[in-house]
Amino acid sequence: MSSQKKRATKVDPFKHRTEVDPKFFDKSWKKLDDAIREIYNHNASGLSFEELYRTAYNLVLHKHGLKLYDKLMEKLKGHLEEMCRSVEDAQGCLFLEELQIRWDDHNKALHMIRDILMYMDRTFITTFKKTPVFDLGLELWRDIVVRSPKIHGRLLDTLLELINRERMGDVINRGLMRRSTNMLMDLGPSVYRDDFEKPFIEVSESFYSVESQQFIECCDCGEYLEKVQRRLAEELERVSQYMDAKTADKITSVVETEMLLIHMQRLILMENSGLVNMLVDDKHEDLTRMYNLFKRVPDGHSTIRSVMTSHVKETGKALVTDPERLKDPVDFIQRLLNEKDKYDEIISVSFSNDKTFQNALNSSFEYFINLNNRSPEFISLYVDDKLRKGVKGANEEDVETVLDKVMILFRYLQEKDVFEKYYKQHLAKRLLSGKITSDEAERSMLVKLKTECGYQFTSKLEGMFTDLKTSQDTMQSFYANISGDTDGPTISVQILTTGSWPTQPCAPCNLPPEITDISEKFRAYYLGTHNGRRLTWQTNMGNADIKATFGGRRHELNVSTYQMCVLMLFNSADGMTYGDIEQATAIPRAELKRCLQSLACVKGKNVLRKEPMSKDISEGDTFYYNDKFTSKLVKVKIGTVVAQKETEPEKMETRRRVEEDRKPQIEAAIVRIMKSRRVLDHNSIITEVTKQLQSRFLPNPVVIKKRIESLIEREFLERDKVDRKMYRYLA
Amino acid sequence: MTITGASEKVALQALKASDWHLEGAFDFFYRQPQISATNSQHLEDLYNRYKEPDADMVMVDGVSQLCIDLQVDPQDIVMLVISWHMKAATMCEFTRQEFIGGLQSIGVDSIEKLNEKLPSLRAEIKDDHKFCEIYNFAFSWAREKGQKSLALETALGMWRLLFAERHWPLIDHWCQFLQIRHNKAISRDTWAQLLEFVKTLDPQGLSSYDEEGAWPYLIDEFVEYLTVNGYVQRRK
Repeated sequence: MSSQKKRATKVDPFKHRTEVDPKFFDKSWKKLDDAIREIYNHNASGLSFEELYRTAYNLVLHKHGLKLYDKLMEKLKGHLEEMCRSVEDAQGCLFLEELQIRWDDHNKALHMIRDILMYMDRTFITTFKKTPVFDLGLELWRDIVVRSPKIHGRLLDTLLELINRERMGDVINRGLMRRSTNMLMDLGPSVYRDDFEKPFIEVSESFYSVESQQFIECCDCGEYLEKVQRRLAEELERVSQYMDAKTADKITSVVETEMLLIHMQRLILMENSGLVNMLVDDKHEDLTRMYNLFKRVPDGHSTIRSVMTSHVKETGKALVTDPERLKDPVDFIQRLLNEKDKYDEIISVSFSNDKTFQNALNSSFEYFINLNNRSPEFISLYVDDKLRKGVKGANEEDVETVLDKVMILFRYLQEKDVFEKYYKQHLAKRLLSGKITSDEAERSMLVKLKTECGYQFTSKLEGMFTDLKTSQDTMQSFYANISGDTDGPTISVQILTTGSWPTQPCAPCNLPPEITDISEKFRAYYLGTHNGRRLTWQTNMGNADIKATFGGRRHELNVSTYQMCVLMLFNSADGMTYGDIEQATAIPRAELKRCLQSLACVKGKNVLRKEPMSKDISEGDTFYYNDKFTSKLVKVKIGTVVAQKETEPEKMETRRRVEEDRKPQIEAAIVRIMKSRRVLDHNSIITEVTKQLQSRFLPNPVVIKKRIESLIEREFLERDKVDRKMYRYLA
Repeated sequence: MTITGASEKVALQALKASDWHLEGAFDFFYRQPQISATNSQHLEDLYNRYKEPDADMVMVDGVSQLCIDLQVDPQDIVMLVISWHMKAATMCEFTRQEFIGGLQSIGVDSIEKLNEKLPSLRAEIKDDHKFCEIYNFAFSWAREKGQKSLALETALGMWRLLFAERHWPLIDHWCQFLQIRHNKAISRDTWAQLLEFVKTLDPQGLSSYDEEGAWPYLIDEFVEYLTVNGYVQRRK
């Protein structure tokens, strides 16, 4: 019965009924299976990519993806196991090669297989969340080959063995190494890390631990550091050649730890070759190396710094407390300057001008320079020496440099007010002796001091210069004005403002009549133009030039005022006793003795003859004009007004005066502070006062306390009634 | 009554006020302003007895006479207490105002009554607060006229006197130390601070002595003197 009423003709879609073939899968698979085998046998050229692709495509299309996938896995496994065996069988050094060859093969194969199975990759695998083909291939390689029990250990050992040989100096096949490590990296970062990097690091640790121990036993510090530097460079190169770049930091850290950190103390403090020796011998290269290497290590620099600091402090301390060194102040300071130069250079050349090192150096210098309380005096003497004699072979710039360096030492001083006192004294002597080598240099020094310490520090010093200038002008107008004979001696007066100059009270002495004459004329002239002022002759500070004839030869003697007074007496008598001289001149005893000594007892300057010929002046001596005096020079200098290191009693006196000067300064500071703060506790006052005065000196807390008590006594302050540690300002 | 020299009535009052506690009673008594049961004429007479013939002051002679009449040693500390009551400006001198005013505040107008009061006056030393006042008063009182500081010898004497009543074990060391090391007058601040020192520190160990404690430098030196000579062990 087929006669149904015919409606519109339906055309059914054309359906492939190929499903009928139950062997469809197997046939298709066989094709692929064979192909894969050929691929692994390096016979891929005879295959048709298009056909294989289509076969795979169809399989997947007909929902055989899973089966295909499983078969693939099986197939791959099979091949890999075969490869595995051949690698395992490889002998000795061929092992690594064989592995690489197989790996290459597998890689190539995988590429092709992936391409063939691309459709499956894109559809089935994503849908069923399976590992893509290529990755699968890698995983299988990893699990079956690389991590096969026989291969895994052997691979690692081989690699490490080769690295070790290279470290010991052999040449190895780096290309092979690279391919091996690349393989591991391709297999996944954790594979590289766990199967190679970690054990590599561990082995390296032991290696360097042993090597560093060996080196340190037989090398000195400099050699050892060279070796470390070399090893570090080597390791970095090795990593760049055949390891993952990330390993660089790890291996570097191993070398740093094993070779540097662990032995740090021993290296730095090594006898005869450690840091201290390098510093002493100016071994710049070694120091640079040490600085750079220890930069990498925690506490490396701080250790170096602290060793350097103690060394500098120690040598500095030895220098300033050595009694031999203290005999020559100029040399003393010169040595300090040299020391500073030396370390400045080391820091600049080897420590790349590291500020922390510079600071450490500064604090060391500050420490030891203040250990000797004569440092301020000596610095002033040094400057005095340079300003009087000029710096040898120096031009203006050099002098500036020297003065700048001295200023650096000056900054380290805690007792700057002591320096000021001495500088004033020395400057006065320089100015009055009329021997200023370079006015520019003097001015330059003043400017530096002013910049450093402020206007107050230098105002009096500047006053001294002004006085001299004014005196010159005054002398000019005096001589312009003077009438009458100009036969007598010429006089040059320096009028000093009391308070600017470090003058001491001076008892008047009897001047020779020729001198009295003209000096009175001057006094009259001066007071005529400046009434209301008082002039006092400072006979202990002047000098005179006298023409004298000895045995027919004429000489010009440059002497002090006192010496002049004594010598002029011999115009009227050939011989005089001590007593006569003392009476005639009225010079104070101690001064007179010194004066006579310099005239009669000094070889080459003995213009007087003394009886008896003893070295010391006693009051029974008699003095004669010494007509046998000779000198090669026409001009003979016998004056004694050069700045010198103070004697003990002078030193005590100066210090006493400094301490006295400090008291009002401390009190002024206390009052200033209390005025603004009104109420303050004891310790805070001490801190504040110290802070305020630190640019001049370091006040002693006990002295501050005494000043506070004095102020309480004078009712500037009172103690708080409730808290006895607090003080209150009384308006 | 025996100790304070108070009348029976006043004594009963004090005891009642303090609930019959003896110590409280003393406190109460001493805080009362003294009832001035004094006769101003008697006081005038008394003053005139001791005053200088040609000056309106009681001076050394008068003071000696007073001591004789009271049967006390002029060095007796009770004289200091009396002077304190009188707010006397200078040792061994009393103005009319001071003399009469002082006796009034003590509450007596005759030698006999003053005599009776002596024990209670002595007892005032035992009171911490009063002792402090008397101690500080002693400084200005013992000073030479016109001086700011107290001469060392006088100071030592005063200290010995004061600390005999209020036992301070280090008094002898202190005096010795000053004579060896200081040999100058004592400032008011040092005087005042010494009392603080005695009060706040235990003499045995001076363990709590704080060098940063803003003590006058003399006391710092004293402590150092004691330590160096081994008179005390300083535990840090």
